[in-house]
Amino acid sequence: MTRRGMMKGVGGLAALSMSNTTAAEAQDILESTLESDPHTVDTYRSIVDAIIPRTPQLEDELGPEHVPGGLAVELEKFLIWDFNHFHEIRSETVTQSGLVSSVGQTPRSRFEVDLDMRAVDSVLDALPVDIGLDTLAIDTDALDEHLDFGATDRYQVSFEDLESVDEGPVSFDRTIISDGDTYHRVVQNYPYANAFPFAFDLAAADFLARGQNEDQPSPNEQFAGGGTFVRLSRKDRLRCLWTIVDGGVIDRLDGLLSSFLPAVGLLKYVVMAANGLHGFGYYTEWSGYGETKTNTPSEREMQVDESEVQSRTQTEYPGPSDGYAADWRHAVDGGFTDEWETEDDEGDEGPPVELPDPVPDGLDGDIL
Amino acid sequence: MKNPDVTIIGAGADGPAAAWRLAEKHGVDVLLIEGGPFFGNEEWPEPHVDKGGTVSTDPDDLDGKLLDDQISHQEAGANDPTAGYLRVGPANSSRAPWFRNLHQNAFIWQVAGVGGTSLHYFANHPRGYPMAFDEQPHWPIDYEDMLPYYRLNEEITSTQQAPMTAREEVFIEGAKGAGYDLLEDLNVTETGWRPQPNAIAEPPEYLDSDYEGSFSYDDGYRGDTLVGDHFQGSSTPVDAPVREKARKSSNISYVPRALDTNTNDGAGNVAIRPNTYVTNINAVEGPATGNLEATGVEVRDTWSGSSETIESDVVVLAGGCIESPRLWLNSDLPDDGWVGKGLTTHWFDWVVGVYDDEAVADINPDRQHMDPYVGQNSAVRFDKPGVGGLEDIGMSPGLVSFADYLFSEAGYSFDAEVDAGEPWDTRGYIVGEELKRKMSNYRQTKAILVLTDDLPRQDNGVTLDNTFSDEHGPVPDVKWEPHPDDDEKRDELARIAADIHREAGASHVHRAEWPPLLLHMQSSMRIGKVLDAGGEAKNVDRLFVADHSALANGVGGPNPTNSGQANALRTADHIAERYF
Repeated sequence: MTRRGMMKGVGGLAALSMSNTTAAEAQDILESTLESDPHTVDTYRSIVDAIIPRTPQLEDELGPEHVPGGLAVELEKFLIWDFNHFHEIRSETVTQSGLVSSVGQTPRSRFEVDLDMRAVDSVLDALPVDIGLDTLAIDTDALDEHLDFGATDRYQVSFEDLESVDEGPVSFDRTIISDGDTYHRVVQNYPYANAFPFAFDLAAADFLARGQNEDQPSPNEQFAGGGTFVRLSRKDRLRCLWTIVDGGVIDRLDGLLSSFLPAVGLLKYVVMAANGLHGFGYYTEWSGYGETKTNTPSEREMQVDESEVQSRTQTEYPGPSDGYAADWRHAVDGGFTDEWETEDDEGDEGPPVELPDPVPDGLDGDIL
Repeated sequence: MKNPDVTIIGAGADGPAAAWRLAEKHGVDVLLIEGGPFFGNEEWPEPHVDKGGTVSTDPDDLDGKLLDDQISHQEAGANDPTAGYLRVGPANSSRAPWFRNLHQNAFIWQVAGVGGTSLHYFANHPRGYPMAFDEQPHWPIDYEDMLPYYRLNEEITSTQQAPMTAREEVFIEGAKGAGYDLLEDLNVTETGWRPQPNAIAEPPEYLDSDYEGSFSYDDGYRGDTLVGDHFQGSSTPVDAPVREKARKSSNISYVPRALDTNTNDGAGNVAIRPNTYVTNINAVEGPATGNLEATGVEVRDTWSGSSETIESDVVVLAGGCIESPRLWLNSDLPDDGWVGKGLTTHWFDWVVGVYDDEAVADINPDRQHMDPYVGQNSAVRFDKPGVGGLEDIGMSPGLVSFADYLFSEAGYSFDAEVDAGEPWDTRGYIVGEELKRKMSNYRQTKAILVLTDDLPRQDNGVTLDNTFSDEHGPVPDVKWEPHPDDDEKRDELARIAADIHREAGASHVHRAEWPPLLLHMQSSMRIGKVLDAGGEAKNVDRLFVADHSALANGVGGPNPTNSGQANALRTADHIAERYF
């Protein structure tokens, strides 16, 4: 039985526990797999494909090593791993009620999501908007015309153990039903990687509703599990992401986004990261960790010579070294001068410690 | 050390400098507390997977070969903000980093650990511009008052001029071509270029392009090895004892000296305790004055979660520009409106030059490439007091791809138009086929970092997040936006950088137009506002701040480590004079 098959439709942790695996070992096994649902995977694959595509057209110009792109090394797994491992939630910081009791306390409802697209006429109807769709300052009909969450039938996130943990990190129970298959995992941190693709689909629907696309969207067989977002052309996907930073998407869609994201404001940072992580993933040694590349960091091991990693063959970087034989010189003969005179300069023995007068009020130089 | 004379919160670039000064010169006992791991220490042989020891007081605990094992120099392994060993998070690498809420297109780059962000710095140690002290009225002291401490810090950190290699020769050609002169004095009052004053031991004279020998300390190699891996925590030369590593991060320069005080009968003692997070500064109304007075701290072990109280005569905040104000606010200490505010970050930008082989060969007849991974990361600079500065940068390709092409506030280059008359060919994110084409030319690409003299503004800084907490309280909410005046200065510097590239023969110039990169953070707890001229909190007696947040502004644009450490040494003297 494949691991995915074993997880289908049952509580993953419970299933492993029943197979005489200790809870700790079961947790490790669950953490070690990155199997994810088609909507999540294909959305990130479509971003990887837009930023570091396969480029057969470069073969004649630069050589065959420049043909493969980020998808050839599963770079989407790098993005998913990082987004799913950057925010630990602790039980003592979550309030049971819907009210914020003090600064820094989060109502549990912010972390719990249940989008069920199976029994609704419109995907928008699945979003649990507290204030009602008609109160949003957007054209929901136009949005509805374009919005699609791809292969996702249902997306659920709930606390796995909030009641049983008085203090310390809590786990999340994340279930995604997609084209009839159930992807269930208990995860250690908040599963942001699964949430962001829904935000990208919403941004894409807004992008199309506002006519900001420059190319016609079309079904994308390469990323068939994705939603509205993957149907955009490569450049339009990136233009769409940019509307999150510089196009007012967060303000326009706040009422929708906040129904399934713990903090909507984070999305601008996420767009920064979605671009930048290609540098930390593709152009570093990461793909050379091979089968260990999504393990806990202390368990990652290089399985490919550093200079043989796909991107390294494209940049001719040989990897870290103990040193380099190179010519060097000093530009200032004899070293810098230090001509500023002080009244009392005795180095380590006696820098002055007398306090000057306090800075006068109004002389602080602040612009604001 | 149950209850020390002084507790210092944070063993980053500055805390160890203050600890050494207090113990060595003033005979004060110091406990140095650090939230992150302690690399290269036998008490913690596996810092990411095992709790290890509790405290280090013996200089023989330091082990350079252990440091070599722990610092792989691999880019993702080091610099991935979530999984890298140089991150802001608990030492236990199976846990997430510590969350900060950042609501903008921006990136915070800091490191938790003994050595702090100096674990991945380029070791550039220019002094602040004299005009930033004497002509911008933020500082209650004169440049002259800082000079003895700059000189002392430069002595301890072996600060001297950086070596020029092939890449720097290209920069120098461009700077000369653009009409700029060499600056030879450490106190910069005019515009020009110069080698970086940096805290990296110089390479041996026998190192040249024909060298075929070993780079191992055990084989007799001493000094810098010209590897451009400093952002990965470069621990070269390999096999060297910790204190003999070439780059003088504070775990190399000050930490061994601080631990040496324990073997010196005339000095105070220093204990260093990593994996320990301070969750509260305790303060009571002082019996004599009625003012609040710091009495110690509450700490929490990051592995076990156990907590305890530590009492001391003086408390020193050195947790950095984000964590120092966050801890202050989480401790409910008085906020006069400037705690956490006035954050400066040198409003960076990044201007990239791609060169033809012929252009480089004309400047370096003996070489085929600039090879941005050979030589020190930043060995030559440009200064313009009153505006800011520039630095020539070379790095390994993952960092280059991020910084050159995948970090921008201008949008994507395929849509980002270039205004007529601007000296760059493209701006914004470069992606797709063009990204791969640019990265194929990595070995003939280098960038110039723009460091703008942004002034402190009350709108920028750190508050407590009203949504999320971690085990240490509400997380920091960080915000930084430029002022239009700072934008103008940044544009001026970017044009100068492009001009230098052009004069050197660059075939393509790209302006990344970075969004805020919170790396050179300064002045969020600054002297003159939150602190008095001696670094003591105006509203809490016996509480000092001795990290970059105490700087009164961004020192004009030069890298802040030399200034932060010099000020920490100065503050240590004031602590001793007032209380010991």
